[in-house]
Formats: sequence, C-alpha cells, structure tokens
Amino acid sequence: MNDLSTSSQITYQAVPIRPGTIRRIRGLSDQALAWLFITPTIVLLLAINIFPLVWTIYLSFTNYRANRANAPTIWLGADWYQSILTDPDIWAAMQVTAHFVVWTVLIETVLGFGLAFLIDKKFRGHGLWTTIILLPMMLSPAVVGNFWTFLYQPQIGLFNYVVAFFTGREASSFQMLGDVTLSPWAIVIVDAWMWTPYVMLICLAGLRSIPDYIYEAAEVDRASNWRQFWSITLPMALPFIMLAVLFRGIENFKMFDMVNLLTGGGPGSTTEVASITLKRAAFESWRTGYSSAFAIILFVTVFGLANIYVKALNRVKSR
Amino acid sequence: MAKVEIRAVSKAFNKTQAVSNLSLTIGDGEFVALLGPTGAGKTTTLRLIAGLEMPDSGSVRIDERDVTGDAPADRDVAFVFQQYSLYPHLTVFENMAFSLRAPIRRVPEAEIRIKVQEVARLLHIETKLDNKATQLSGGQMQRVAIGRALVRSPSIYLMDEPLSSLDAKLRGEMRLELKRIQTDLGATILYVTHDQTEAMTMASRIGVIESGRLMQIGTPREIYENPINAHVAARLGQPAINLLPAALFAGVPPAAATVGARTEHLTIARGGGDVSATVTRIEHLGDQSYLHLDIGGRPVVTLSDPEASLGAGDTVSLRLNKPLFFDAAGGRVAA
Repeated sequence: MNDLSTSSQITYQAVPIRPGTIRRIRGLSDQALAWLFITPTIVLLLAINIFPLVWTIYLSFTNYRANRANAPTIWLGADWYQSILTDPDIWAAMQVTAHFVVWTVLIETVLGFGLAFLIDKKFRGHGLWTTIILLPMMLSPAVVGNFWTFLYQPQIGLFNYVVAFFTGREASSFQMLGDVTLSPWAIVIVDAWMWTPYVMLICLAGLRSIPDYIYEAAEVDRASNWRQFWSITLPMALPFIMLAVLFRGIENFKMFDMVNLLTGGGPGSTTEVASITLKRAAFESWRTGYSSAFAIILFVTVFGLANIYVKALNRVKSR
Repeated sequence: MAKVEIRAVSKAFNKTQAVSNLSLTIGDGEFVALLGPTGAGKTTTLRLIAGLEMPDSGSVRIDERDVTGDAPADRDVAFVFQQYSLYPHLTVFENMAFSLRAPIRRVPEAEIRIKVQEVARLLHIETKLDNKATQLSGGQMQRVAIGRALVRSPSIYLMDEPLSSLDAKLRGEMRLELKRIQTDLGATILYVTHDQTEAMTMASRIGVIESGRLMQIGTPREIYENPINAHVAARLGQPAINLLPAALFAGVPPAAATVGARTEHLTIARGGGDVSATVTRIEHLGDQSYLHLDIGGRPVVTLSDPEASLGAGDTVSLRLNKPLFFDAAGGRVAA
C-alpha cells in the first residue's frame, strides 16, 4: 500500500510542469493512445508501400508508358498478363532465376551449416575465424560485383589463376563472365561467397540454442556422434536452417544489383534473372504497363511460395 | 546391475576444488544417497561416475573394470538429470525409447514398445506417450526423465535430485515408487539430494558430502545417531540440531565446546531443568508444534506437543537427555 501511494505521489509531482499536455493525454482512452502511436507508421507504410503497390496493379492493366506520361492511358484488361505468361523470353528469365536461386540457396545452406557446425565446436580462435568468415557479408553488393569482375578477368584475374594453378588449364583459356555455360555459375559462386556467412550466422544461432545437457543425455544414452547429429543437432537446428533458406530464397529471387554489375544479364541473356528483364522492360523499353504486370506476377509468386514455406516452417517449429 | 567403486577421485574446475580425494563403494543392488548442500560436489561425483567429467586423479571402477578413461556410452550407466534433459522435439515415447534404439543394443522394436509401455504405466504417464516432451508439466517431464533411465538395465542408475521439481504430494508418492522399483529390480542407485527426507527414507546408506569431501557414510540411523562431526549432525534432523555453547550447561565433557541437542535430547518442563529458556514463538503444524526458544540469547528450536499450553514470553526449563558433544573444530567428543 505504501509503495503504491508513494509512486502515485511521484506521478502527481510531475504533473504541474505541463498541466495542459497531461490533461489532454489523460483524457485519451487507451485505444486512442494506441492509435496516436501507430498512426505515423501506418501513414508512412501506406505512402511508400501500399499506394505504390495499388498503383502498380492499376498500371499493369493499362498501356501506360512513363516516358510518355501525357499520352492517353487505355485500359487493356489482363492483356499484359496473358502475353507475359506465354512469352518464352520471360520463361527463360524465370529459368535463369530458378537456377540461380536453387543453386545459391543449396550451396549456401550446406556450406553455411557446415561452417556453423565447425565454429560451434569452440576451438581455439573460433571468435577470430567467425569474424573473418563474416567479412564478405559486410561488403556492399556493388563493391563485391566490381571486384569479382576483376577476379574473373581472364588475363589478370586471381580466380582464373587459381583454377589454372590447380587444374593446369591455361588461365586465359576460359572466361567466367563471358562464357554461356560458365556465367550462370559465376554469379552463383559470387553470391555463395558473399552470403554463406549469413546462413552460417543463423545456423550458428540455432546450434547454440541446443543446450549441452541434451548432448550429455544422448551420450549417456549411448548415441554415437552420427546419431546425435541426425536425431538431435539437425532436427533442433532445422527451424533456423529453414529460416535461412527462406531469407536467402526471397532475397535471391529478386536479385538484381550484383548480377547487373557482374554480367548485366549477359552474355546474351544467359544470366538475365527476372529482375534484370523487369528493369529492361521498365527503364530501357519504357513499357511501364507491361513491366508493372511482370512485377505483380513476380510479387505474387514470391509471396505465394513464401507463404507456403512459412506454413511448413511453422509445422516444423511446432513439432 | 553391478558394484561401482570410486577411488581417491579428485576434480577441480579452474581454482575450485569440486571433489577432493573421494572414495566410495556402492554395492550391487544398493541404494546410496549423497546428501549435502548446494555446491558440495554431489553432482560432480555423479558426473565423474557417468564419464561426463574426467577426474584429475583417482579411478572409477564399474563391476571391477576400470572405466576412468571411458566415454559415457561405454560405461553402461543411466543418468537422470536434474533439469530433465528431455529431447524436446521427440514424443514421450521416443524419448523413452531413445536409448533402447541405440544401434549398439539391437533391441527389436516390438520389445522396445512393450518395455516403454511397462515403465510408462509404472510412472503413470502411459496416456502421455504420444505427447511432445515439451507439452508436459514439470512433474510429468521429470517422470519421463526417470522413465528414460528405467527402460534400461544399466550397471547403475545415477540420479541427480530427480524429485526436486515435483510438488510435495507427488514427491512423496514418487519416493515410495522409486524405492519400490529399486527393490523390485534390485537396482543399484546412486542418488544425489539435498533433501534429508529423501535420503533417510529411500537410501540403504547415506553419504554426507561437504566441500567436495565425503564426511561420513553409513546407514541413515548411524548417520543420524552417530554423526562424526557437527556438519554431519546438522544435515539430518527436522528441526535441525541445536548447536549451543557448552558453557551454557553444567556437566559437559571437558573437551566439548559445543552441545548438539536434537529435539529428542531436550525435555521441556515447567521447572527443575538444567537451564531456563524463554518461549519466543510457536509454529503450529497440526500434529506437532515448533517451539522457538531463547537460551541466553541463543535461538533453539524444538518440537512440542500441540496440546502444551505454552505461549510467547513463557519461561520454561530444559533438561538435556544424552545430547551430542563436539569440540571446537566440530569433531565429535564422547559423552
């Protein structure tokens, strides 16, 4: 009782400073106060997220071109959607994207989990190694794109030199970025180099969340290291691994910056991921309506896949 | 089941000596309780036997075989951890079957099913077998943890305060249950606890451990009636033994510095006793009462008949009846 009355006294002592404000705030209900706090966020969200989305949906049904903003806008219905979904070039871009997403996510997950597993063993100097491994992730994609073009340079590039050193092949005999078969792999390698640390970090958090005593119990239960890995480590870290896969999958589905800097979609359109096709349609051909429709299709695809995936993730988590 | 022997085992963690020069033999089928306060080295002793810790010196022998350097898996022990240590992503059934499914054991699945169900019935968790381990209450989790050990027939069951998280009623039931199981199976159990009731009621022998040393080991009766020092005396008895300066009493042995008076060593009378005391408080527990007294500024707690018409401020007279005597270092002095 005493404590309560003391604390209410303190509140009242603060009142005289700005009585008007206090009275106004005290006049608001909890709900009104809640609205007061979230309104700025909602307004901002509406202005920079929801409005552009709705506007893009509208544009996707018209022949609007941003470079001819004054030309009359004609309602086309679902024409763009139809032509995009039947366009072989679009499907080629989707295939390139799928190749990029599947391989990067696979490689990053396997390597990232492997590294996390090693780092989790807490050997001497593991802190230093963690920092070193995390470095690529901290760089800007623009920087990474630029210096990997140097590394991939056939005459002076370190990458070609290393491959030449280990395989005995002539360093200038192949071009990672200029070759039709190699360039899709070139962008996979760079993305894996840059983002494996990120997956490692998430997996490490998962591995660290498994208490030591679980392993102790398993040891007493005569579980071999192999069995401990398969029946404890992996299932318990699985939600974290799946989360990393989700993040990397979404991120790489809309990959633009690094690929644009490395290959610009070339040679030909062998590395033209969906975002590059989209950017070309929107800002090179200025087909705003068409590109809006494509953007909506990409959005729905990512959103739909991510939703299905999150459901699966929740099922794993609640297991 | 087997005989387990630890010889002169010591273990330090950095500068903290957790266990020093501890020797202990647990006979086949015996139920030994290690009793001591938190940080006394009880759990470390268990972990040393399980192989979860390696001793700095000394040896561990199970069934006459030196297992000091062996991994936990090679020792054939079962461990019930204080914090349950259940596999959270597995069901109760899978948790209990986990050790039986070790490839090294080659137990057929049908046999595993029968064994797990049998133990689950014993522990009253047979309806929970399909639940996730994390969907259970604390008491149920602890029973699963015990069940996980019971499905096996190891050389020894090592139990680290397995009942500490249960409520009083369940703890009482489980105490009887565990003792019954131990007798039925003829299991060898080393049981760590700081609860004297558990130690007194279940163990065939109690080892009192303090600061990493085994102070005394013996039957509950021996430990209670014949403690070798004041530490051991203070570990058993409810209310705790009253340790009073010998100077307060007449006729104590010359070497005695402290008089240890348990409830049964004190006779309360209205007058004519050895020393007079003032009643400071009475706690009524129903069938008995805790009587808090003040003897020359020293608090004394004893039991009294709830019918006794005593109240705070009353003066009573105490008579000592074959109390225990301890020297200045706490060692026992003969009466």
